[in-house]
Amino acid sequence: MIGIYRALLLASFQSASQYRVTMFLYLLFSIIRPVIFLAAWTAVAAARGGTVGGFSAADFAMYYAIVTLVAHLVTSWNAYEFEFEVQHGRLSPKLLRPMHPLHQWIAENLVWKAFTLPVMLPVIVAIAVTFNARFTAEPWQVMLFVPSLLLGAAIQFLWNWIVATAAFWTTRVNAVTTLSDRLGFMFAGLVAPLALLPEPLHTIAYALPFASMIGIPAEILRGGLTPSDVLARLALQGVWLVLCFAGYQAVWRLGLRQYSAVGA
Amino acid sequence: MTRAIIEVDGLTKTFRVAERSEGVGASMRALVRRRYKDVPAVAGISFRIEAGEIVGFLGPNGAGKTTTLKALSGLLHPSGGTARVLGHVPWKRENAYLRQMTLLMGNRSQLVWDIPAADSFRVLQEIYGIPEAAYQRTLGELTELLDLAPLLHKPVRGLSLGERMKVEFAAGLLHLPRVAFLDEPTIGLDVSMQGRIRQFVAELNQRHGVTILLTSHYMADVVALCKRVLVIHRGKLLYDGGLSALAARLAPYKLIGVTLRDGETDGELSRYGEIDKRGEGRVTLRVPRDQAAVTTARVVHDLGDRLADLSLGDPPIEDVIDKVFTTESVA
Repeated sequence: MIGIYRALLLASFQSASQYRVTMFLYLLFSIIRPVIFLAAWTAVAAARGGTVGGFSAADFAMYYAIVTLVAHLVTSWNAYEFEFEVQHGRLSPKLLRPMHPLHQWIAENLVWKAFTLPVMLPVIVAIAVTFNARFTAEPWQVMLFVPSLLLGAAIQFLWNWIVATAAFWTTRVNAVTTLSDRLGFMFAGLVAPLALLPEPLHTIAYALPFASMIGIPAEILRGGLTPSDVLARLALQGVWLVLCFAGYQAVWRLGLRQYSAVGA
Repeated sequence: MTRAIIEVDGLTKTFRVAERSEGVGASMRALVRRRYKDVPAVAGISFRIEAGEIVGFLGPNGAGKTTTLKALSGLLHPSGGTARVLGHVPWKRENAYLRQMTLLMGNRSQLVWDIPAADSFRVLQEIYGIPEAAYQRTLGELTELLDLAPLLHKPVRGLSLGERMKVEFAAGLLHLPRVAFLDEPTIGLDVSMQGRIRQFVAELNQRHGVTILLTSHYMADVVALCKRVLVIHRGKLLYDGGLSALAARLAPYKLIGVTLRDGETDGELSRYGEIDKRGEGRVTLRVPRDQAAVTTARVVHDLGDRLADLSLGDPPIEDVIDKVFTTESVA
């Protein structure tokens, strides 16, 4: 398996290096959005006399710098291409190999992140500095952030695949992925930190998988949570990982029975 | 009795397709309630293929050839029936099975579009767990047979259609499968390239004993490669047997071609047999198979010096096959 991953990563790396413009546009977009929210929340905090729900402008700056980083590291987009692969018969060659296609998609995902991170990081630091971010996390929180981030990435990846496998049943997956995207946008902690969501949105956010993808890792790295809060959130992520994994396996198996290998 | 490499028994695949009439009203109704129609693509076919055979799979478009190949390579779950290839149920897609077979489709891609084929080959080497020595040997052989040397280090998207198909071919065979399903392997290629691929498939079978089931629209592929053919039409198997026997059974006549120096007068040749066609001074006669030799001798005896040219042969296999598809039965 190590040899397979080495070869897949190398091939994905060679492929990715050909798409510099796409990469630049993607980075631009993934930075613009949090900056707009950051600017808005900073203005709201200033108008309210300095804080909103305990968040000062410096806290927002730190939060959005972290969210930008987390969102980048947990993102997965391969599922969006899955519809195309199914409809144009591109999936078939992958199914003929003695390897689950998921491995190739994981490799592509990892390479993309590794490729874009060196550009992303300085920009995130620049945003943090410009908006006077205050970093308050303690070393143990930074340490627990790492497993939380990995869990978030795995949950996001599997969730997107569960949604994408709708392509086995319908030829219009876009509607399904868009719904999932919108929910994610609301409940992952991108519009506002999860702590600021009013009830019942706050409860709903934790009951859906989206908080486990981005919001929870970001909350942990931002600092301020107690050890028991952090462990409870990691446990919640663990539950979502198990559910998503089981869900993915189920829909994949059912989907393959349904697969008609059109055009291939 | 030896166990066949491919055993297919009552294989059935029915696709469910949404059906809708024309017009706005029908579109509105389809929003609420869909009507479906079951389309049988493969309707219970059975056959066995022994190790080392090359079998041609013939049938018009939509006959069920590709659906059968997809089921046998594990891409499709059939609606009924059973199949075993190398002892495996294909649609379980066990790695042990996938490692030993290949499905080559004229227009499908194993290769990463943006990188040179040589790099994609390395990925396949790892996926199939091909030892380095075997990899180098097979790659060397494929490079020589398909003349790949100038193509391996260019990004795949920069290759022409024919070049890409050669490289795809190699990609599908790097692991030296024991069974190869070839779906229209020469489609879209020029005549010389078709010949190369044909020769290559024959070598693959002879050198490595690969069992091959192939579909093609080019009868030349089938005639050159296959001793045995399966004829399928509307999902049903119409014939399973030798190619030459198929011709003899379907076309119980031979063709005698006659060209006279002074031309034919008053349809005089029609007394030797049924006129099949006339053109450019040449007349083709259709005569019963068992009387072909005697009739030819009569033509020579009667017409003697007037003969500019004379030939005796079987009707073109295309015509024979076409007859199967129009009459739907092999008597």
